[in-house]
Amino acid sequence: MSVAVRGLTKRYGATVALDDVTLDIPDGEVHALLGHNGAGKSTLIKCLGGGVHPTSGTIQLDDREYSGLTPRESIAAGVAVIYQHLSVLENLTVAENLFIGQERTRAGLIRRAQQRELAREALANIGAHGIDPDMKLGAIPIGQRQMVEIAKVLQRDARLLILDEPTAALSRAEAERLGELVRELAGRGIAILYVTHLLGEVLALADAATVMRNGRAVWSARGDEITKESLVAAISDGHGATNDPPAPPRIGDTPALAVRGLTGPGLGPIDVSVAAGEIVACYGLIGSGRTRFFNTLFGRMPRTSGTVSVDGVPRDATSPARALKGGIALVPGDRAREGLFATLSALDNTAVSSMSKLAKGGVLRSLVAERSVFDRVATWLDLKPMSPSLPAGRFSGGNQQKILLGRWVNDAARTRVLLLDDPTQGVDVGARKDIYDAVKRLAADRGVGVLVATNEPEEVMDLAHRCLIFSRGSVVQEIDVSETTADGLLSAVHSTAPETRIIDLPEGTLR
Amino acid sequence: MNPNRIMTSLVEGIVRTPLLIILIVLVLGVQLATDSFFGWQNIRGILQDSAVIAIVAIPVAMLLIAGYIDLSVGSTLALGGVVASLVMDKAAGDPGLAVVLAILAGGVVGLLNAFVVTVLGLNSFITTLGTLTAVRGIAQLLSPTPRNNFGDQFGLLGVGTLAGIPLSVWIAAVLLVIAGLFLAFTPAGRHVYAIGVNREAAYLSGVRVRALPFWLFILSGAMAGFAGTIVVARLNSAPAGQIGAGFELIVLTAVLLGGVALTGGEGTIFGVVVGVLFYGALNNSLVLLGVTTFWQAVASGLALIAAIGLSALTHVVRGRMAAEKARRLAELAKAA
Repeated sequence: MSVAVRGLTKRYGATVALDDVTLDIPDGEVHALLGHNGAGKSTLIKCLGGGVHPTSGTIQLDDREYSGLTPRESIAAGVAVIYQHLSVLENLTVAENLFIGQERTRAGLIRRAQQRELAREALANIGAHGIDPDMKLGAIPIGQRQMVEIAKVLQRDARLLILDEPTAALSRAEAERLGELVRELAGRGIAILYVTHLLGEVLALADAATVMRNGRAVWSARGDEITKESLVAAISDGHGATNDPPAPPRIGDTPALAVRGLTGPGLGPIDVSVAAGEIVACYGLIGSGRTRFFNTLFGRMPRTSGTVSVDGVPRDATSPARALKGGIALVPGDRAREGLFATLSALDNTAVSSMSKLAKGGVLRSLVAERSVFDRVATWLDLKPMSPSLPAGRFSGGNQQKILLGRWVNDAARTRVLLLDDPTQGVDVGARKDIYDAVKRLAADRGVGVLVATNEPEEVMDLAHRCLIFSRGSVVQEIDVSETTADGLLSAVHSTAPETRIIDLPEGTLR
Repeated sequence: MNPNRIMTSLVEGIVRTPLLIILIVLVLGVQLATDSFFGWQNIRGILQDSAVIAIVAIPVAMLLIAGYIDLSVGSTLALGGVVASLVMDKAAGDPGLAVVLAILAGGVVGLLNAFVVTVLGLNSFITTLGTLTAVRGIAQLLSPTPRNNFGDQFGLLGVGTLAGIPLSVWIAAVLLVIAGLFLAFTPAGRHVYAIGVNREAAYLSGVRVRALPFWLFILSGAMAGFAGTIVVARLNSAPAGQIGAGFELIVLTAVLLGGVALTGGEGTIFGVVVGVLFYGALNNSLVLLGVTTFWQAVASGLALIAAIGLSALTHVVRGRMAAEKARRLAELAKAA
């Protein structure tokens, strides 16, 4: 299918998620889409897949022009999106998954034998001979599940295939097989939009590439024009040194955090030392172990060996509550799901962890003390609007993040080490600087040691003193931020790209 | 506070509990139609019925706010009543001991629920659905034939008055005030909301996401056991199969009417009071208006659906108000 996106724009209130995006994918082309988190890639995918209705602009699929698609229209037109988190039904078999909603029946009963045969054919058709149609989806590896998902959409005559970071959870061998399949499908005339962070994949697979930044398609190239250098430049372009560097850390004192030989399932050993007032970035791709490192430090995931000291005192953080007691706090990456109490007031959100400490006799809340803690921290972080009673969910993304920072760093909190997991996820450009400033102030004024997990080189440049490059669950390189550039970091992370990536543990293993 | 802010908080309070307005309209309407609502006898009856519901509604509401449900309270109430009746049979025992044992018996049921739900991690709906049935059986095993005639002293719990107001109403009032203070003014109280709004975030914030619901379940059992003593004291008899049958649904109805969210994270004790009184006044009004029993059930059920619809509507209105406030504050911030 040929796809032509023209002037596509999507606004959410005052935020512009997509800004006049134009994109062409002819029949049989593999088109790579790159850009940071929040650059607008997922909104674009959702517009094509029918989950989001654009504010303006058109999408042309072959000869039909749409001003917006519903999921049904999108599927009927031959668009198939394979999301990073696969939408497969784990407790059904491979064959059942392939025919879900389109079961082959006779007299209202499913013809299992026929479905099994057709499933085998469909899988063989994409070179996945080894998958047993009778296996439960939950029992086969993630790479094979992806194959099942692809077989499913092809079976339904998909003619535009959108792959959202398809190799993020795959082993190298699986990733290579997927690459071959992508080329072969393109050879059959299927248009492919391939979203990725990995420059190597783009160079190996793509006929054309588009880079997005702040909701705009800022760069496009075809064939030989696509080089690693040009991609790096396009992804990080327009990034000035407008940010002040962080104040120097208090090196020489006892380090705020000292980690020695920390290991856990799929992690480490890791040795890290963070001085008081120092900001250290943990930079790596998804699955490189940076988030797992944080969860292990914070007692959410089990540790198998190693010591953690806060201000020179050994701390045995076996649960979040004990980590907090030891002075380690985590601001999770998924703000809405793991951080914020959306319907509770900003004051409650800020004070939730220090209420007991402020309470009179440990029993009765001291509203006055809570309010004064809130007022000071809100002023200090420049919270907008500065309203203690407004539900936290009503604040903008950047200000929600300030509320969460305020929860851990205020007059009543005893935080000595702050772990920030992807602190600017889903935050617009203006609020980013606010958050960076707030974090720098926390480090400088309070002497808090800060670890920031991120996959954006600019964030490292803007925020940190030092950068640890994570890969396969370990620190593979340490870089002084003042002696490098965003491009240097990008090359560093891609040259240490993992041989085999670690598949994230299922959620149940947390806690 | 300037008059403007008083008005604002008044409007917000009404929007929060729209049922209060409906309750007032209902009561005045019935009074005009029948001229018998405001008789002391009638009011007293409503209050006395409401007191027992309110006592059990307190922990049930707290559990709902924290994101759990306790369906076993009806049977636990029966168990408490039966235990007290065994002690007090033919006015033989010590009323104090009877009450303490009833509370303990309820507390044990609560402990069982607490353990299964918060330690073993089973779903609270299913768990308490199970104990609902099992505990009813235990109550009947303990007292296959109902005991009765518990003596005047114990009877005071059911029919005694203080300053003309039934003792049970005083007790309920005191417990409601304490519960209200707990939820609004103690860290643990706010943590109940935090767990209900976002359990994961609460866990990561160091809130005791298991211990707190654990104690709430025990409280729920103990309060239901205590309410059982009031019920049997009033009846002066303890038929194990009948007391508190279907009571869990009455309590849930009243609590949900009062604006406690079934999905957790929302609700106030003030709302619970309004919900309980509304439930009592509605059923009483239907009687006063001469509605026959079967139609009473129909009206009562439809009223619940209407009230939930109303609460959904005010949710939207409140969302709009909060959005409006956020916008206004953002503009102020920009201007400053």
